[in-house]
Amino acid sequence: MAQARIHSRSDDAREARIGGAARVRGRIHGDGALIVEGHVEGDVAIAGELTVLAGASIEGDSVEAESATIGGSLEGDVVAKGPVRLVAGARVRGNLRGSAVSIEEGARFSGRLDCEFDLPQELTDAAHAEERGRAGARR
Amino acid sequence: MPPTPKNAGAPGRGANARMTETFMASTVIGAGITIEGEITTDEDVVVAGTVRGKVTAKEAVTIEAGATVEADVSGGSLAIAGSLTGNVTAVERVDLQSGSRVIGNVKAARVTIADGAQFKGNVDMDV
Repeated sequence: MAQARIHSRSDDAREARIGGAARVRGRIHGDGALIVEGHVEGDVAIAGELTVLAGASIEGDSVEAESATIGGSLEGDVVAKGPVRLVAGARVRGNLRGSAVSIEEGARFSGRLDCEFDLPQELTDAAHAEERGRAGARR
Repeated sequence: MPPTPKNAGAPGRGANARMTETFMASTVIGAGITIEGEITTDEDVVVAGTVRGKVTAKEAVTIEAGATVEADVSGGSLAIAGSLTGNVTAVERVDLQSGSRVIGNVKAARVTIADGAQFKGNVDMDV
């Protein structure tokens, strides 16, 4: 058995990783990045990047992060300041909010997307025209 | 532990599969992270942040200087350099290193308390 020893980890000192054989029941919060290879049952609120690898899972009511990349299974609402990426193999059930949301082919998702983006030119033109039309009708 | 090859991932499994290979297979709670709850694993655990609750590991548990643990901790072997409040049980050994602050009972076949370690509690070496 490997003996426990103290080693410096200056390169990833603010990073947390839940290993493949690990299970966390409870709340995880803080200002670093989080990589999940194992299983988390509970809420996550971190100020860094969240990565859920293939084979990993998170079951929580709310998952908050700066940005999120999900390749494993996730149940719960995801709120990110930055982008949310569902990569191939991801299984997500819940609502997603981010500055951008991408769902790769091979990812499964059921829930609501809440994401602000610019509509294509022709749609915005149509929307403006409709608005003008409605304004005209009111007058 | 043998060194992990950096690009051992099977081709075509994507960036995430490759990422897994470059990391060591263990659990690390970084300095900025707090876990309120229970951690259970068959592997190693390294705590540099804060854990409140319970830590159960089969392999080594390392509580680094600056870490705060308010939990009962059990593992194969334990090295403590940070602050720990709770009962500690190890299959093999417990090392309270210089600078550590431990309040709680320690149970292991081998226990060391380094010069400069603060400790309040009972030691049970199962004699």
